[in-house]
Amino acid sequence: MTQTPVTTLSGAQLHRLLENGYRNLKRNLAAVDALNVFPVPDGDTGKNMTMTLEGGVRSTQPPEQALGELMEHFAHGTLLSARGNSGVILSQFVSGLAEGLAHKTTCTPSELHRALLRGVEKSYEAVIHPVEGTMLTVMRESVEAVIPNPGESFDLYFDRLLRAMQLSLAHTPELLDVLKQAGVVDSGGAGMVYIFEGMLMGLQDNWLEADASAETEGFSPVAITTLDPNNLLQFGYCTEFILQLQPTKTDVVHFDLRSVISRLEELGESIVAVADKGLLKVHIHSFAPEEVLAFARTMGEFLTIKIENMAVQHHETITAPEPKPRQRFAVVATAQGLGIAQSFLEIGAAQVIDGGQTNNPSTSEFLKAFRQVNADHIIVLPNNSNLILTARQAAELYTDADVRVLETRSIAEGYSALSMLEPGADSVEEVIESMTRYLPYVTTCYVTNATRDAVLNGLEIRKDDFIGLTDDTVLAAGTDRRQVVLELLARLPDIDEKQVVTFFYGKDVAPQELDELEAEITRRWPLIEVGRLEGSQELYSYIMSVE
Amino acid sequence: MDCNRLFAVVADSTCDLDKDLRDRYGIDYVPMNYILQDREYPASLDWEYHSAREFYDLMRRGEMIRTTQVPRQVYLDRFARYLAQGLDVLYISCSSALSGSINTANLVGRELEAQFPGRRVRCVDSLISSLGQGALCMEACRLADLGQDVQAAADHITAIRLTANQVATVENLEYLRRVGRVTASSAFFGNLFGVKPILISDALGRNFALKKIKGALNARRELAAMTARLAVRPEEQTLYISHADSEAAAIQLRDLILQQAPFRDCRLGCIGPIVGASVGPGTLAVYFFGQTVTTNAEEAGQ
Repeated sequence: MTQTPVTTLSGAQLHRLLENGYRNLKRNLAAVDALNVFPVPDGDTGKNMTMTLEGGVRSTQPPEQALGELMEHFAHGTLLSARGNSGVILSQFVSGLAEGLAHKTTCTPSELHRALLRGVEKSYEAVIHPVEGTMLTVMRESVEAVIPNPGESFDLYFDRLLRAMQLSLAHTPELLDVLKQAGVVDSGGAGMVYIFEGMLMGLQDNWLEADASAETEGFSPVAITTLDPNNLLQFGYCTEFILQLQPTKTDVVHFDLRSVISRLEELGESIVAVADKGLLKVHIHSFAPEEVLAFARTMGEFLTIKIENMAVQHHETITAPEPKPRQRFAVVATAQGLGIAQSFLEIGAAQVIDGGQTNNPSTSEFLKAFRQVNADHIIVLPNNSNLILTARQAAELYTDADVRVLETRSIAEGYSALSMLEPGADSVEEVIESMTRYLPYVTTCYVTNATRDAVLNGLEIRKDDFIGLTDDTVLAAGTDRRQVVLELLARLPDIDEKQVVTFFYGKDVAPQELDELEAEITRRWPLIEVGRLEGSQELYSYIMSVE
Repeated sequence: MDCNRLFAVVADSTCDLDKDLRDRYGIDYVPMNYILQDREYPASLDWEYHSAREFYDLMRRGEMIRTTQVPRQVYLDRFARYLAQGLDVLYISCSSALSGSINTANLVGRELEAQFPGRRVRCVDSLISSLGQGALCMEACRLADLGQDVQAAADHITAIRLTANQVATVENLEYLRRVGRVTASSAFFGNLFGVKPILISDALGRNFALKKIKGALNARRELAAMTARLAVRPEEQTLYISHADSEAAAIQLRDLILQQAPFRDCRLGCIGPIVGASVGPGTLAVYFFGQTVTTNAEEAGQ
């Protein structure tokens, strides 16, 4: 280490450190995802936190901007792209950090420490019932314990802070029994550790390259079926490139970013443009990407280009294209899988955000859906316990309607609530009363394959076995899927009072198996009516609403 | 039945009165028709052509059963028979919102009054069907036995018809929707597993989907609670429950109601082929005299 120790940070420097933290998290995303309490293939904390922070990293403003303003933009970008509970908490943390640095042009370690304290405070405020043994604890314990010494450089401070975070993380299973039982540490806490590790690496002049996959973030496999060949282009193309600026074509040294941006503004919107070290990095939503590329080519040559039709982006909401007239009530739901999304639309949802189990929608996707439904009262069905915070965050940010978030924690609960929708009611309270009347009696059951060997709830589970679980307990396991379903139902404590079982069946289930299950269920529990919907979801053979 | 009645009480196939009740009260009915597999059958309330089980099993298997109105000639022959005996005719029809038969009956009545001077044919729209219509017919018989004339009886039935209440539930609304005999917001349709609509007969005699209940047992509980709430002087009246091949559920429903409302007695009946073809197997309908129905499906925002 030959560099001089850093004792003040400019906006550009802090941004670059955060970007390094983001890149380090991204490199370790799979490891964070794997920290899953249940042996089910739905870990997504790493991905959620990465995509959340990416919103901040992409929000780059001109680097000469003061620290306070730059962080404000960074925090705003993070807030909008927040997804998953860990993402929302992270975005609130960043937002507190930005508040702590407001109006500053640079900061010292003590000033950053105070801002980090504000970040901790704000992340606790984000959750109604903070749980210890999570990322909240990891941040609070370490930020509170490690106070910069007078004159201490950032790298030494971060070194001590990181050690404290690692210790706190290792301790999380002692605070949270589910972690201990599963033999894992908290995934969100681990994500924070990777972010701060990346920042420390930057302080030690170890800058991470943007890895190839980082440049394809957000461009997960597309649902081609959502693009009708006769559709008109509705959303344009998300266009991104990195251009090597060439002295033969433009003035690289005194590169005029502002005039580039103003030309781009004629070609599209949602523009992010950064010029750094002879590279120009651009993100733009445009109806004429070919013109964007031709314009860019006048200044240099491309290192990478990617162009995505936004109508088929995985995260795009499935929607009718024309603007809707103002409604009194509208329901916005999230769903995973086209089958489930269509079922929701069919029974009364105005808008379905295709969240996917491992691709949670962000705050801004909720906001976009709110704008599209155009209603006085918007009722949101997050349908996933990991989306409730994101939905609430979006509801708070949205000012054009009265937005109510019903705390549906699963597709099954969401389906149950939506099936009871009576939009003819006089008031939003009545609509909500009807939708939530039976929610306390809904039990959500899942059948999937175990991703690892485990002993849970007295059941010996082998990797790839079918396991049947409710939201919090594994109740059945075995190699015969039908048996697992029946045993799962039989072990529900209140099965004799249940009247309806609705199956959302996945891509791997044949109708014959459902016929057999239906016959057996009605034979064993004559009071129960069985329904089935083609969910076409991934990962789960069955998602069942038992009510 | 009193042989000195001044008028005959005639219903149609939707009144769902079984032979025992019809004989006891002296109620005649004119049949509508149902069409099954391209053959037309008179809609017999005694299940002469298909047993109730056969009929509803065919529906369960997806067989479409269509229905037709009472043919003009049937009205002519039946009404004329009574007029020729020197009796007037009080025809209490299926709700005009569900069947147009009463229009034919009115025309036939005027024609026959011309043919039989001094005789009268009165047609009253019951604004309800099944045993609700049946209960109004039985009430008309009571007046006939008291020696009232046809006009007084027709006026009385017209005056009280909206106190005949229906609270009902169906397995699903698809049957009713297919034949256009329900008023319900779109939220009642689609793959709503386990969601049971609660149907009332509104002030214009339309089936109106009032609310949703989750689960068949919960729906029965709701019907019982509504009956207890809406019935007036239950101790002085008979409770009628009609069902479409779902007797066990009807018995359970009866017990639930009688726990909450002290009806004098209760009569279970099978929903006949005409109402059955529109509502589908598994339907349960409760009929009683209660508060006057004022709900108007359209004003209720549907």
